Amino acid sequence: MLASRFWYVVLGLLVGVATFLLFLATSMYNRAGARAMGEALSSDSQVVAWYLSNDARQRSAQLISFGVDADIARSLQKSSDNDQKVPQEAREKALAGLKKVNAGIPADQAFDAVFAVDAHGRVVAHLGYEQASGNQDFELGGYPVVADALRGYIRDDTLVLDRIYRVVARPVEADTSQMPAGAIVGARILDDRFARELSSRTGAAIAFYTAGARVSSGAPETFNSAQLDQIVGDFSSLESDEEYQTKGRSKVRTIAGMVGVQYSRLPGEAWQLGAGYAVAREPKAVNGPLGFLQKADDQDKANAHVALAVVIALAGALIGIGFSLLEHTRPIHNFRLEVQKLAKGESDQLQPSRFRGVFRQIASDLNDGVDKILAKGGGPRRGPADLKEVLGDLPAEPQMSAFSFPGENMPAAVGAGSGPHSMPISTPRALPTVPGKSLPKPPGRAANLDSTMEAQADVPSSGGPMPGSLPGSSGAPSELAEWRAVYEDFVSLKQQCGESIDGFTYEKFEATLKKNRDTLMSRHGAKRVKFSVYVKEGKAALKATPLKD
Amino acid sequence: MSIVRTLSSRRWGAQVGLTLLGLLALPASADAAHVKGRLEGFRFLRNPVWAEAKETSNHGFSFREPVPTVRAEFRRPFPHIPKELCVALLASSPQPAPKPILVRVGGGRTTPVTIVVPPGTRLSFQNTDPFKHRLYGVDIKTFSAAEQGQGASREWTPPGPGTYEIRDEAAPSLRMWIVAEPNVASITYPSLKGDFSVNVEAPGEYTLQAFFAGKKVGDAVPVKVDAADVELRAAIKVMDQKTADAEEKASDEKAAKAQKAQDTK
Repeated sequence: MLASRFWYVVLGLLVGVATFLLFLATSMYNRAGARAMGEALSSDSQVVAWYLSNDARQRSAQLISFGVDADIARSLQKSSDNDQKVPQEAREKALAGLKKVNAGIPADQAFDAVFAVDAHGRVVAHLGYEQASGNQDFELGGYPVVADALRGYIRDDTLVLDRIYRVVARPVEADTSQMPAGAIVGARILDDRFARELSSRTGAAIAFYTAGARVSSGAPETFNSAQLDQIVGDFSSLESDEEYQTKGRSKVRTIAGMVGVQYSRLPGEAWQLGAGYAVAREPKAVNGPLGFLQKADDQDKANAHVALAVVIALAGALIGIGFSLLEHTRPIHNFRLEVQKLAKGESDQLQPSRFRGVFRQIASDLNDGVDKILAKGGGPRRGPADLKEVLGDLPAEPQMSAFSFPGENMPAAVGAGSGPHSMPISTPRALPTVPGKSLPKPPGRAANLDSTMEAQADVPSSGGPMPGSLPGSSGAPSELAEWRAVYEDFVSLKQQCGESIDGFTYEKFEATLKKNRDTLMSRHGAKRVKFSVYVKEGKAALKATPLKD
Repeated sequence: MSIVRTLSSRRWGAQVGLTLLGLLALPASADAAHVKGRLEGFRFLRNPVWAEAKETSNHGFSFREPVPTVRAEFRRPFPHIPKELCVALLASSPQPAPKPILVRVGGGRTTPVTIVVPPGTRLSFQNTDPFKHRLYGVDIKTFSAAEQGQGASREWTPPGPGTYEIRDEAAPSLRMWIVAEPNVASITYPSLKGDFSVNVEAPGEYTLQAFFAGKKVGDAVPVKVDAADVELRAAIKVMDQKTADAEEKASDEKAAKAQKAQDTK
């Protein structure tokens, strides 16, 4: 069993190592996933920042079309020249100019709202900002982005008004020797549409927020958009993020282990108002070794060496079964065969040299035990039972007189010594002379029971030869002849044992056997009963064996 | 709300227009005299909000580039003086508070941006934007932040002499200065070109003083007013180029230091 045990140890070690490796792989996978997520989020955040800036630049180029439009320029100049109010004519012409130019802008570069602002900062005309319709006092001149445009700069800004707006502005010049006549301002609303557009171009899940609330979001189809709701609850902790406060970009944060987020402030006035955007990704992590099964997709499963795993498993199983056959099944089989030979009498003893390991020792011990039993004259038989135990007390008269001699004071404990102390009979080849009828009559019953009778009551014999029994044929004549032979053997054995045979007649012996035969046959359903003689505790004894055939 | 008396001259059209907007509520009458004058050097002033916004360390933009066709002299964050430069006529004695003055809140600023009034003058702040504002007074306990919807008004009265700053939690660019000056008799705002005309109710000796961003700018000019209008011969210089350059240089250095510190961090 050494190889099997070694194999169990190897298997145990392999399972342990595999488990360790799985947990190691889980930890490494999660760490790598967290690092990758962090890098991806930083990249996403940077990409979004670049996109916002680049988008503003590209759209600012579209403002040139407004700036060079003569109607707009003249209208703004006319309005700027009027300190009191914006002339209605200027409003109308500026609006017409805005519509005309705006219609020519490609859809992907279009603005959600366009404003024409005069040098006073007053909005002369606007498109797409219906909230201000009819408001004659509507102006934008206080915002730095507009002030800069009125002073010759083109720049962007992010304004938080009723919504978040990405704004670009540039001056409109009517006379290059003078201050700009006004400015043109284009705005895009950072709404869900913008967020989705941004998300589709950057591949990141994005949410814009201000005043501690998410105002818009967009995410790839593979991303659970509901995860973006969790950033709302995380806003309060942003105050303690030093990087966010100083650099405008937070560290990568994981909310409830379900979504990784990085917050960035929006450039412009929105920076001071705490408005920004969050990019989010779902962390690539598994809860444990079994989590790989849930995370693996078809491609992963296709890349896994299933055949190799099956081969390894089969090889391990076959090796284990092989060791088991070699060290367990086969030795037992061999042992069984040898024991069967021994049982059948085909061999006198087991051959330890044919066995290995513990079976060799068992065989050797078994042989020693058999030898010791034989040395003691035979071991206890499991099958034959004491006749007295089977039949109860034998009648004292006249049957028992057949087994005793008058005048002998033998102990009456019939059957008490049966069993382990009996000795195998050495069948006498030269039977003593059968005493004649002149043998003395046996004395009283109480003291004349010196012989023992046993019967194979539990398992009726198949009729094989019994130790010490005489061969005989079935039927009454043969039975009587057999009994006669038994009588002679019994007498002879008694003499050998030094017992007296005075008064021990065949007639009494036969009557006793007959009675016992009838009793045993009725009790065991045997067809006949075979009697044999043997030595028990140094005295001759009879053994009855019921036979069914 | 009273209106500053207008003049027939087209030259003062700008001032009249401003007053018609209801910006001012200081006492005036049809018989009042005027002190006319001109400001110069105002393009060397720097609007503090815009000057701060152009610093990269303030993250006010992702790109900001000059348009080559605009002359360099215009590419400075000089104030829009019709709203930001207040010319006050100071009497020799304290003046009574005028009627309430309307201050419009819209477009990223207030109109006017700087105002000089006697203490006790009630100011009415009206939101003209189509979205909310949250005005508050800096270190002013009686002017805490409160939400103002479109068209909504709130009032506040400067309790005593001093300079008060008003800001907006919803619009960082909005900064207003209220100078509570007991002797102020009248105020006005110049045109884009710097011309101004201020009303004088009663003859006497006054002092003209320009205020910008809550502070006095330029020299105080004594004026003696009788029944007729007074026209100042010399322009009032509110800033000279040398001082402006020095201030701008100092400001740039400060911004550069801030940027460097931020980069190092």
